[in-house]
Amino acid sequence: MSRLQTMTDREKRLVRLAGIGIAIYLALFGGFELWKSFDKRRADYQQLVQEAKDLRQQTLPYQDKVLLVKKLMEDFHMDPAKLKKETVVSEASAAIQQAAKSDGLQIGPIRESPAHGSSLTLATMQLESSGQVPAALAFLASLNSIGFPLVVDSVQFTADNSRPGQVKMNLTIFILDFAQQKGPKEAAHA
Amino acid sequence: MKIAEILHPQPLFVEIAPDRLLARRGDYGVEVPLERGPAGGLTAPAKEKAVATLKDFLKAKTWQPRVRAWCAITARGVSLRRLSLPPGTKEEFHERLLLQIEAEFPLPPDEMAWGFQTLGQAHPGNGAMARQDVLVAAVKKDLVLEFYEILRASGAEPAFTLASTARWNFAGQPANSFAMLDIGTSQSELTIFENSVPATSRIVFWDGTNPGSLPDAQLEILAQTIKGNLAGRRLLVSGNRISKEFTERLERSLGNGCRCEPLESTSATGNSTAISGLEKSVAEAGSPALVIRLQPTSVSTASLASLDWKTWAPRVGALVAAVLLLPYAEALLLKPHLEKKVAAFKAESERLTVIDRELDFLSNLKLSQPPYLDVLYVFSKSVSPGTRLDSLSLNSHGQVSLRCAFRDGQQVADFRNKLIESGFFTNVVVEEQVPTPDRQRVNVRMSAQEKTAAEMQIASARLAVNDSSKTEKSSPAGARPPAPPFAPGMGGEPQ
Repeated sequence: MSRLQTMTDREKRLVRLAGIGIAIYLALFGGFELWKSFDKRRADYQQLVQEAKDLRQQTLPYQDKVLLVKKLMEDFHMDPAKLKKETVVSEASAAIQQAAKSDGLQIGPIRESPAHGSSLTLATMQLESSGQVPAALAFLASLNSIGFPLVVDSVQFTADNSRPGQVKMNLTIFILDFAQQKGPKEAAHA
Repeated sequence: MKIAEILHPQPLFVEIAPDRLLARRGDYGVEVPLERGPAGGLTAPAKEKAVATLKDFLKAKTWQPRVRAWCAITARGVSLRRLSLPPGTKEEFHERLLLQIEAEFPLPPDEMAWGFQTLGQAHPGNGAMARQDVLVAAVKKDLVLEFYEILRASGAEPAFTLASTARWNFAGQPANSFAMLDIGTSQSELTIFENSVPATSRIVFWDGTNPGSLPDAQLEILAQTIKGNLAGRRLLVSGNRISKEFTERLERSLGNGCRCEPLESTSATGNSTAISGLEKSVAEAGSPALVIRLQPTSVSTASLASLDWKTWAPRVGALVAAVLLLPYAEALLLKPHLEKKVAAFKAESERLTVIDRELDFLSNLKLSQPPYLDVLYVFSKSVSPGTRLDSLSLNSHGQVSLRCAFRDGQQVADFRNKLIESGFFTNVVVEEQVPTPDRQRVNVRMSAQEKTAAEMQIASARLAVNDSSKTEKSSPAGARPPAPPFAPGMGGEPQ
C-alpha cells in the first residue's frame, strides 16, 4: 500500500495502461483460442452431418429392396436366413418326396450327390417318379414353393409303356447354398 | 406473473382533460397536471413530466409487448356526423366512408384522427338498396398527436375514444334522448344524446373549481348557457366533487323541467366516470365501440422518426450476434445427439448387408428357375391330334429334345412351324424323321433351343393374351389347355 501511495500519477497511468494492455492481450488470445475450439467443433459437426446425410442416401434404396425381398420370400415360402446348411439337404429331400406323394406320384429311386469345391449348390438330387401327367405337372409347379432353394436342372418325361395313361419323370434338382451366395448371376440359359 | 399477463399486459385507461391527464391501471392510478402554452399545445416540460410520470407508473419492460392505452378525449375539436352508407365488402365500405368523410368534414381524412361506429343493422331504403348508419367522430390530428407521442414514449400503444361515450357506458347505456354534462375546473362538456347516440357535443367555458360551494349567481350563468338544449330532458351530471345537492340546485336554476341526476364514480386516484366507463366497455366487449385512430402512414413516419436507437442498437447487436453464433451453438448442442444416432445407425447397418445377400440370393433363385411349365404348355398347344410323344427332355440350359410319332410328314412340318411361331424356341431341328414300315406313322427325333429369358417372357405374355381372347370366345374362363399327349393313350389320340 505504501509503495502504491508513493507512485506518481505518471507511474500509476503507466501501470494502468500496462494492465489494460495485458488484459486486452489475454482477451484476444483467449478469444482466439476459444474461437478456434468452437470452429473445430463446428467443422466436426458439419462432417458428422454430412456423414448422416450420406448414410441416409445409402439407406434410401433399401426401402424398395426390403419390399422386394418380402415379396420374393412370400413367393418362395422361404426365409433364406433361417436355412441351416447342415440340415437343409435332408429337409429339402423330405419336402420334395412329401410334395410328390401329395400330388399323387409314385417315387422311384432317389440319388443324392454332394457339391464339389466352390460350387454354389449344396447337393444334387436325382429323382425318378411315375404317375399321371397332371400330377407330374402339379409336382413340377409346386417345387418352387416348398420352402427350399431348389433349381430343377433337367426334367425328362418318358412314356410308361407298362402302365397306360402314366408317365415316367426323371428330375435333376440342385439344392442351392445360401451361405455361398455372393451376388446375382445370370440365369443359366439366358 | 402468468404467461398470459406477460404476453397481454393489463391495459391502461386514460382520460385526457384540458388541464390534467388521469391514468388508471388495475387498482392503481396517477394524475398528471398538463401545462399548456399560449397556442394551446402542451409545453415541453409538461410533455417530459408526463412521459416520466407515466413511464414510472407503467414500469413497462422492453421485452414485453406495449401496454394498450385506451384514452378518452374531451369534445374539444371533435366533430360528430351521423352518416348513412350502402353496405358492401369491407374495402368498398371503407372507400365509401372515406368519400363521405371528405365531403362532410372540413379537413381531408389524412389530416384528421377519426373513427366510426356502426349503428344497428343495415336497413332497406324506400325501394332502394339497404343502407348502414354510422357515427363518425373526427378530430384534427394535431390535437391527439402529442398525447399519442407521450403515451408511445411511455411504453404504451394508445387508441382514442370519446369521453362522453365512455361516460354513457358508465351510466348503464341509457336509451332515448338525454344529455350529459361533465363539470371541469376551467371548462365543462355538454353532450346531447339522441337515441343513445351522441348527436352534438360542445365545450362550456365556466369555472367549476369548487362546485360544492358555488354562489347562485355563478350557477345561474351555467344554467343560462346550457338550458336552451335541455328542455324536458334528463341531464346526467358528472365531474369532480359533484353532489346530489349540486344537481338539485342546477335543476332549480334551469327551471325548464330538466331532471338533473349526479353520475358518481368511485373516488380514487386517477379515476373518473370516463375511465370507469372505459374499463367497463373493455371488460364487456374488449374495446370501446367508437375508436379514433391515427392513420397508419403518419404513425409509421412518427415511429421511424422517434426510433430510440439506444434501445434498439443493443437489440440489433444481440440479434446479429445470435445469427453469427447460432451455427456454433447448434454444433455444441446437437452434436452428441447426432453422434448417438449415427453410431446406432452404423450398428444397424449390418442388417443392410443381410438384406443385400437375401435379395441377391432370391433374385438369383428366381432367375434360375427354368420355365418348364411354359414350354410344356407350348408343346401341348402345338401338337396335332393323333401325335404320340415317346419322350421329352428339358434342361436348365434351355436344350429341348423329344421323340414322337406323327401321322405324316405334314404334321411334322406343322408342329415345327408352330414351335417356331410360338416365339419360345430357336434352332428347331428335326434330327431324324423315319416312316414306320406300314407307312402309317412317322417317327421323329427333334431338338430345339429355348430363347433368352427376356424373349420368352415376351412370348409368354403374347401367348397369354391370345389364349384369353380365344377362351372368352369358345370356352368358360379358366379352362386349362390339354396336357402333352404322352403315349400310350395320354392326352393325345390313342395309339
